[in-house]
Amino acid sequence: MDEILKKLPFFVDQIQAIKETVISNIVLIGQMPGPTFGEDTRADLFLERLSCAQVDECGKDQLKNAIGVIKGKAGKKNDPIFLTAHLDTIYSADDVDHNYIVRKNAITGPGILDNTLSIGILASLPTIFRHLKLSFSSDIVLAGVTQSIGRGNLRGIRHLLNTWARPIRSGIIMEGQVLGHFNYYSEGIIRGEISCDILATGHFFTQKYKPNAILILNEVINELLTISLPQRPRCRIIIGRITGGHKHGDIAVQARLGFEIQSDSDEMVKEVYGKMEDIVEGIGQEHSVALKLETITVQNAASLKYGHPLVKCTVAVMKSLGLKPVSESSESELSVFLSRNIPAVVLGMTTGKNAHLANATMRINPMFTGIAQIIGLLLAIDKGLCDDK
Amino acid sequence: MTSKNWLRENTFHHSKFKDIGKLVKKKDQKKIAISLCFPTLNEEKTIAKQIVIMKSELMNRYPLIDEIVVVDSGSTDNTCEVAAAYGASVHAANDILPNLPVFKGKGENLWKALYVTKGDIIIYLDADITNIHHRFAYALLGPLLMYDHIKYVKAFYDRPLAGYDARMRPTGGGRVTELVNRPIFSLFYPELTQILQPLSGEYAACRELLEAIPFPIGYGIETSMLLDIYDKWGMSVMAQVDLDKRVHRNQDTKALGKMSFVIMKTFLRRIENYGLVKIRQNVYNELIQYQKVPGHYQKDTFHIEGHERPPIIDIPEYRQKFNIPDSDRQ
Repeated sequence: MDEILKKLPFFVDQIQAIKETVISNIVLIGQMPGPTFGEDTRADLFLERLSCAQVDECGKDQLKNAIGVIKGKAGKKNDPIFLTAHLDTIYSADDVDHNYIVRKNAITGPGILDNTLSIGILASLPTIFRHLKLSFSSDIVLAGVTQSIGRGNLRGIRHLLNTWARPIRSGIIMEGQVLGHFNYYSEGIIRGEISCDILATGHFFTQKYKPNAILILNEVINELLTISLPQRPRCRIIIGRITGGHKHGDIAVQARLGFEIQSDSDEMVKEVYGKMEDIVEGIGQEHSVALKLETITVQNAASLKYGHPLVKCTVAVMKSLGLKPVSESSESELSVFLSRNIPAVVLGMTTGKNAHLANATMRINPMFTGIAQIIGLLLAIDKGLCDDK
Repeated sequence: MTSKNWLRENTFHHSKFKDIGKLVKKKDQKKIAISLCFPTLNEEKTIAKQIVIMKSELMNRYPLIDEIVVVDSGSTDNTCEVAAAYGASVHAANDILPNLPVFKGKGENLWKALYVTKGDIIIYLDADITNIHHRFAYALLGPLLMYDHIKYVKAFYDRPLAGYDARMRPTGGGRVTELVNRPIFSLFYPELTQILQPLSGEYAACRELLEAIPFPIGYGIETSMLLDIYDKWGMSVMAQVDLDKRVHRNQDTKALGKMSFVIMKTFLRRIENYGLVKIRQNVYNELIQYQKVPGHYQKDTFHIEGHERPPIIDIPEYRQKFNIPDSDRQ
C-alpha cells in the first residue's frame, strides 16, 4: 500500500498537467441537459468520449446506462471494479441556461456539483490512466448511470447490478462534493409525497367552506411532528419540499408535500411510515378530501464495517493526499451496491458552492486531488488490498 | 463554377467535417501549420472556456491546431491572465509592431495577429461565444483542408437553410446584416448575398489571402474582407459552413448604429476605389445620434475615423519575419 500512497501526491501534479481534457469533458457533457429519464443525449456524448479515448467496450444497456469497459490484464480471473457516477441532474433543457462559465479556478453551471463534474472525470479517466502510464489487472467498468435521483429511484444502478453477469469486486461511486467526505454506510430511507386534492373526491363544497389543500397539509405536518422518534436506532423525518395553490387570493385546491424518513434501521423506517399512513388516512377522512401517501424511493440500510479493508484503504489514500476523512451516511448508489454484498464507497471530488442552484460552482484545483484519490483507491483494489479475506 | 451553383456547392454543414482524424491527415499531407486567434477586449467570462475546449479537443486529442493566440485590445478585466493560465499565447495589440501608429479595434487585432501567428491557415473566432464547441474551429477548417480551391471560409449559424431537401428556413442574419449589408450587397454585389451571415465573426483563411488585403481597424473588417477577397479572387475561393447555433451578447440599437455607420463607410470607400461610383462630396467621419432627455433632445456625436491597415505584406517587418523577398510582393 505504501508504494501506492507514495505516488499519489505526484499524480496530482501530473493530472493537473492535462487539466484541459478534464475541464473540456466536464463542460461539454454539462452543457448537454440530462434530466432524470432524459439522459440519453448526455449518455451518448459520455460514450463518445470513452470511445474516442479507445476504451475497449462501450455501449448502453436497456435502461440506457452508459458503460465502458477497460479490459484488465488478468482477463476473467479477476472480478471487475466498478466506477460509477449518475448521469442525471435536476435540470431539464428549458429550466436554465446550460452554458457553463469557466474561470481561472472555478466552473459555474447548473448541475455541475451534482453530478456533471463526476461524469466529466469518469469520461476523462481513460486518458488520465494513459497519461499516468497505469494499467490494471482487473477490468475497470466506467458506468454513467441513469434514472438515479428523485423519481428515478436509483433504477439505473439497480438494473446494471442486477443484470451484470459476473461477480463484482468493488465499487467506487463518484459524487461532485465534498472532497474529504466519504461514505461507506447508507441509512434506510423511504422518500415519498403526500398530495392533497380537494376536488378529486367529487364531494361538493360551497366556496365558503371549501377546505384549503395547503392548510390540510399543514395539519398533516403538525401531526407528523407529534410522532415520537427514538434516539436509538436513530430516526428522523425530513420535510424537504412543499408546493401548492395557484393565486394569492384563491383557496388552494391542490398541494404536495415531499418528505423522507431516514434511520439506521429499516424496521424503524417502516414503523414510522405506518404511523404516517394512519395520519394521512385519518385527516383525509375527517375533511372529506383526497389525501394520498405515495412512496417514491425505498433504500435499505446497509453498511461496511469501519474495519473493512476497503474503508481502511480509503482512509489511508485520503490521508496521504492531505485530506481529513469525514464519513457520513449516503443516499446514493451506495446502498444498491452494499445490499448486494458488493463492497463500495462514495468519494467526493472537489469543493464548491450553491450545489443545487443554477449557479452551482465547483473549484478546479481541489478536483485534481479528488481524481488522485480515485486512482489511489483503484490501484489498491486492483492489487487485492481491499478484498475482505 | 457559376454563381448559380455557389450556394449549393460551397455551403456545408459542420457535420460533414466531424471526422477530425481525417482533417489531421489532410493537414499532415499538406505540411501546413494552423493558428487559432481570439481577438479580445474584456472577455474574462468566456475566454477560458474557448481556450480550454479548443486546446483539449484540437491540440491534445487531435493535433489539428498548432497554436492558440489571444490578441488583446487592452482589457481591464482578467482576460489576459485567464487566457495565459489556460495556455494561450497572449499579446497586447499595442506591443505588436510598436513602431506603427496605435489604433484600437477588432480589425486591428486580427491584422496584428498575422504578425504574431505562424500558421499557414488562420482561424479567427470571436471570444464571446457562450456555447463554444470545437466544431466552431474544425468545421471552418474542413473546406480549406478538403478542397484545394477554397481559401476562405465563413461561419453561419442558428436558423439558416436546412439544405436542399425541400425544408427551408430563414437565413437568420442579425439586424445589421438584414438592414445594411444585404441591401447594399444586393445593390452592388448580388453574388455576395449568398454569404448568409456576412458579419459573422468566425472565419478561417489561408495566410496568402489575409496578408494581401487591407484591414479596417474596427467593425468594417468583415465586410471589407468579403469585398476584397471577392474583388481579387472571386466567389470560387469562398465557402460557408453552418455551425448550427451560436449564443453571444446582444447589442442595443445605438451600438448597432455605430456598427452600421462603419460598415457603410467601408463599403462606400471600396465601391469608389473599385470605380463603381464617384462620390462627389465629402464623406463625414461623425455619426450623429439623438436621445431624449428631460426637456430636450440631446445630440450625441461619435467621431469614427475608419482607419485601415494596409495589406500586411507591405509592412517591412512582416516581410522580414516571414522571409518574403520584396520581389514577391503582390
